[in-house]
Amino acid sequence: MDFGSFLAAPEIKVKVITYRDIFQDKAMLENRFGEEYRNLSAVIKLDPADLKQLSVKKGETVILKNSFGRVVVKAEESGYETPHKGIAYMPKSPWSNMLVSDETGGTGVPKFKDISVTVTSAKGENVTELNF
Amino acid sequence: MEKNYYVCTGCGLLCDDIEVESEKDKVNKVYTACRIGVAHMKETRGEAKFLVDNKPVDEATAINEAASILKNARNPLIFGLGTSTNETQKIAIELAKKINATLDDPSSFCLGPLAEALIQDKLKTCTLDDVRNKADVIIYWGTDPSDSHPRQLSKHSYFPRGSEKQRGWEEERTAIAIDVRKSHTAKICGNYFFQIPPKGDTEFIDALIAGLSGKLPKTSYNYPPKKILELANILKGAKFGVIFVGRGLIYSLENLEPLFKLMKILNEKANFHLIPMIGNYNTMGFNENLFAETGYVNSVKFENGTVKHGPEYSIVESLKAKTVDAAIIIGSDPLSILPRSIAKNMLEIPVISLDHCETLTSKHAKVYVNTAISGVESGGTAIRMDGVKVNFEPVIETNNPSDEVILKKIMEAL
Repeated sequence: MDFGSFLAAPEIKVKVITYRDIFQDKAMLENRFGEEYRNLSAVIKLDPADLKQLSVKKGETVILKNSFGRVVVKAEESGYETPHKGIAYMPKSPWSNMLVSDETGGTGVPKFKDISVTVTSAKGENVTELNF
Repeated sequence: MEKNYYVCTGCGLLCDDIEVESEKDKVNKVYTACRIGVAHMKETRGEAKFLVDNKPVDEATAINEAASILKNARNPLIFGLGTSTNETQKIAIELAKKINATLDDPSSFCLGPLAEALIQDKLKTCTLDDVRNKADVIIYWGTDPSDSHPRQLSKHSYFPRGSEKQRGWEEERTAIAIDVRKSHTAKICGNYFFQIPPKGDTEFIDALIAGLSGKLPKTSYNYPPKKILELANILKGAKFGVIFVGRGLIYSLENLEPLFKLMKILNEKANFHLIPMIGNYNTMGFNENLFAETGYVNSVKFENGTVKHGPEYSIVESLKAKTVDAAIIIGSDPLSILPRSIAKNMLEIPVISLDHCETLTSKHAKVYVNTAISGVESGGTAIRMDGVKVNFEPVIETNNPSDEVILKKIMEAL
């Protein structure tokens, strides 16, 4: 057994900002329970430095967790030129909605674009299935 | 030869120049539309027509079950309607009155406050046609139309040769993006992309107002004052400016006051308009229709001839506080679009889902009716995101009933 397996998996905290993606929207219209929609939705886009800290390669899965939910999605590099360590991006979808707070301050407006989560490697666990 | 143009109901732009090749009940090819529009017009449907407890039934059984759910509810919720025609929305409002329902649409957690301000003439606006023909300074703030409203830049705002803007984007238009991330639209804006930190919009507006007033613009996140002054100068020179506002900006503001202040000073120094980037094709219609009836744009509760209004009657707060005991969802999928921490409460109440496709919501519904695709298989009227009324005919035929027909039948069964 190697020494690394005794170490806790690296964990980082990020703020997730959600956004719209035309390819994902098109995939939803074609089949919202289909593979293409899942592949384009269950994704988090991270800064390369955050990926490195997590010891996760792009395309591998990560666990996103907070007090509202837990979801396994694929980690990708954001591709943005400006570094954004600590800030991550997810296309708006049922997967990002699993992490949105129920605290609304009575306004009727959830904080869809202001989500705080911890990220850890999912060590090969599959992307969360769309279900209730 | 006269060509038949159709309207695309894929988003709030309601593009009216769509050509299709179709058979009686099938769209084969779609021309002119964007990626989303093509997918929308070629949407396919499941076989199920009427389901109760996920088992096939005839139409009468489904209607009677739906009516019985609504009859037995103390406070039913009617929600959705952003992808329904004006005609359907008006029937839904009548239904809400009849059954003392809570009535809401997605604008309560999207751009509702902005729609309300525009309907009440609190903000200067214009049509997309005005933008195409006249606009010289175009701001995309907290919105990425390249992804959400794909033909907005090419058909209406930045790229077209408008009647008074023949030299177009190369010489006569300036496109500006203000956003927390470099979106596809921000890339098109090149050097006029202003990246601000999350929740930094209010301060950026204050700094911009300072810049427009000849003061030194300051932000706690040290945005370069020179860049804000450069932006202020461009805005001051606008002969016909427009701000397209998305959820990125609205979610970042506590209320609309900063936006009112900015629009006021922009119209003292130049000429500026504001248009909301509404997603669903007829959310603006819902807001206008409900406003005409009640004086409110969303989040209402009817009670024996009176109407109450407030965030407590929004879908989010109603589900969170469990104040509604049944729901009829029309062309929407709250189990997908709401936070799961709130949407899960919908699993505890009987739900009627009217939708042209299976969704998480329809799968968990007591009653599901597979309705016609609004705008593709059924026609009517809608209000474009800039307030212009648009008529549209169905592109193909279907045996599936429209949501309008089903709502009428439920009303009758009550």
